[in-house]
Amino acid sequence: MSSLGRAAFAAMLIVGAGTANGQITTVVAAPPRKTEPAQQAAAQKREQAAQDSVARVTMTGMKEWVDSASSALAIRPDTVPTTSDTALGTPRAAASPARRSDSSETVRTQEPTAEFKKGARAPDTATLIPAIALSGVALILAGVAMKRRERLARSRVRR
Amino acid sequence: MNSRGTVSNALIVCGALLLIASVASIARAAIARDAVRARWAEIEAGRAVAGARLSTSGARWSSARGTPVARVMIPRLGLDEVVVEGVGDDELRSGPGHMIGSALPGDSGTSVISAHRDRHFHALRGIAVGDTVITDSERGTISWTVSRIRVVRADDPALDARATPTLMLTTCWPIRYVGPAPDRLIVEAVPK
Repeated sequence: MSSLGRAAFAAMLIVGAGTANGQITTVVAAPPRKTEPAQQAAAQKREQAAQDSVARVTMTGMKEWVDSASSALAIRPDTVPTTSDTALGTPRAAASPARRSDSSETVRTQEPTAEFKKGARAPDTATLIPAIALSGVALILAGVAMKRRERLARSRVRR
Repeated sequence: MNSRGTVSNALIVCGALLLIASVASIARAAIARDAVRARWAEIEAGRAVAGARLSTSGARWSSARGTPVARVMIPRLGLDEVVVEGVGDDELRSGPGHMIGSALPGDSGTSVISAHRDRHFHALRGIAVGDTVITDSERGTISWTVSRIRVVRADDPALDARATPTLMLTTCWPIRYVGPAPDRLIVEAVPK
């Protein structure tokens, strides 16, 4: 091909590229789907909820909810919380955990009592520390006694 | 070394480990108690600076678990402890715990404060009806009179909700029991 021919071919490619691109990438869009009445109603409800002042109030109360949930799960903060964590005059009930389903409550009644309610058991204040310390002393004494016996037996054998 | 020698050495080592574990636990409890007392001192200082009770000043209390919420004193027995919120293992290590959901001392209703018998409430072995208990909290300083002392089984539903201010101090019973004590001592007090 002559240089003129090459130039003409290149020009054709450049000029035709736009048209070719349009032909290849053109997608026939599907006709818009008709939304079902139920879907429309749900969408409307979602919009209303987003704009609803009650929903906003619920969101502002999230801190209390998180606090109560964390106390329910016995999650301790890494740092000692400041005294300003809880608003002045916040009812003590706000510190108690949120209500759970019946099944989880059944599970909790089997655990040591940690929250006050009518007819609650006294908290589990039993501790094993004295028993552990005494066991330790007993084991040491037993070990020393065995060693002593062994020494006595050895000395008898020597005699 | 024969097998007897090995066994005796093992016994001594195990015993020493148990002793170290219990001493470490007691030391940790002492450190936690000091931390809570320091925190309470900060609160007291804040109150002094405010020049008024916290309930009427700008300072605020926290009801998070493990934070100090009150102080309980029994002058005759020399008991003086800072009460923290919650009665879990971590809370009871640092001091007597205020049972979540119960009233604060001074509020109407039952206020439950519990502690280990071998630590903070060891002095309760000498409590008697008529003794004075003093509590200090965001509700102010209140004097109580011990009105009733009872021993119940550990699984008895012994804590009843009252409409009037009632203070209940609980701990394990018998005080000098080795192992998990089977009973609970409940000391009830009413405002003077």
